[in-house]
Amino acid sequence: MSLLRSPSKEPLWREEFSVFTSDERYVTRRQFAKFLTLASLGMFVGNLWVLAKAFFARTPSFPSVEVGEAGEIPVRGIKLFTYPTPKDHCILIRTGEDEYVAYSQKCTHLSCAVYFSAKEDRLECPCHQGFFSVRDGSVLQGPPPRPLPEITLDRNGARLLAVGVKES
Amino acid sequence: MHGYEFYVDPSRCIGCQSCVKACEECDTHRGTSMVNFDFIDRGGTTASAAYVCWHCEEPTCAMACPTDAIKKGDDGIVQSSLQSRCIGCSNCVLACPFGIPKIFPEYEQMMKCDMCYDRTSVDKRPMCATVCPSQALAYVRPEEIAGRREKPTNVFRFGNQKVVTRVHMMVPAGTDTVSLDALDYVWEGSDVAFAQPQ
Amino acid sequence: MSNHESSKQRRGLVAINAAITFIIILLIVQIWLLGATLETFLAGHAGAVIPAAIFSGLGFLGCLALSVFVARPDHESRKH
Repeated sequence: MSLLRSPSKEPLWREEFSVFTSDERYVTRRQFAKFLTLASLGMFVGNLWVLAKAFFARTPSFPSVEVGEAGEIPVRGIKLFTYPTPKDHCILIRTGEDEYVAYSQKCTHLSCAVYFSAKEDRLECPCHQGFFSVRDGSVLQGPPPRPLPEITLDRNGARLLAVGVKES
Repeated sequence: MHGYEFYVDPSRCIGCQSCVKACEECDTHRGTSMVNFDFIDRGGTTASAAYVCWHCEEPTCAMACPTDAIKKGDDGIVQSSLQSRCIGCSNCVLACPFGIPKIFPEYEQMMKCDMCYDRTSVDKRPMCATVCPSQALAYVRPEEIAGRREKPTNVFRFGNQKVVTRVHMMVPAGTDTVSLDALDYVWEGSDVAFAQPQ
Repeated sequence: MSNHESSKQRRGLVAINAAITFIIILLIVQIWLLGATLETFLAGHAGAVIPAAIFSGLGFLGCLALSVFVARPDHESRKH
């Protein structure tokens, strides 16, 4: 902080350890103000780091995973699989004769596993009654703040492949 | 006290040592007087002088203290050493041009006059000034001291060092500072007991 | 003993206390801003990141200016 200190004839140690009690209260306040400014700099650097992450983040690409065969599951039936890593559980739903959708099974509220309710035609989370639409994963009701991430499927003949996670 | 100043007039001192005894009564240093009482030339004269701390504006003792134990407050009083900080190194004893601070080896602390801070902060006179019968130590308003023949001064010169104090010394009219050069008092010559080795 | 001087000192001290209070307020705002920015970014909305960084920078500059004011050796009001 020597740049910010205006030139004075007294050496720094004499100002900081002053024999005059009237000056001592300024020393502690100065030190406190400097500490707070340092903390403020830390917060600003944190914001810059978030900015850098936003600019330079690369969406990682994962190898496609074979989910199953077309016709393997009945209409309005489900199949559980994992994509992109074995720890990420997903659910495949055959919504129509030739229509398949897949979503991540992690509820966006508190990560409980959602299940497909054929009767209500929606994805339901048993923990806090959060419901998601089968069409696009949007929240129909309940505490989940964000829609369910959709898994993009690729149809290769009779094979269904999971190729990506759609960012909401 | 607001408006009151301390005046020291050694020519009025009669050597009764009431100030010494009164100072000893203070509870903070009971039994030890903080008044510097001198017999000027014991063998040659009965003259005596009593001094208190001069409470300099830029206290040399405080500047010399390595532990920042001596503080000067907003009201201009140089406090005695802070007990938790004083290490008894005697820097202040050597530094003070008036020879006021005293080291007490049994406590390893320095103690000195603090203008009876427990009294002056509640509008009372210091003990020594209260009891001095000849008012060699006086704590009065400047108007009252103007009646005396001697005039107060608070500027001292010790060689090249100029010291401005809060306590005033009564000096003959026409003298504006008290100048002392230690070299003038260095004995040279035939008196072997006092001469410095060459 | 020196009441006339101490009022000037007191005014200087009040100004410094006020400056420190402003610094604390700015800091709290910055802390909240960082938390909120991180939360929205991790939720996927990266739109708020740039204005948040700008405002955080302004907050830091404000803190810096105030701390320079506090650290200024104000000889006038600190005469002893």
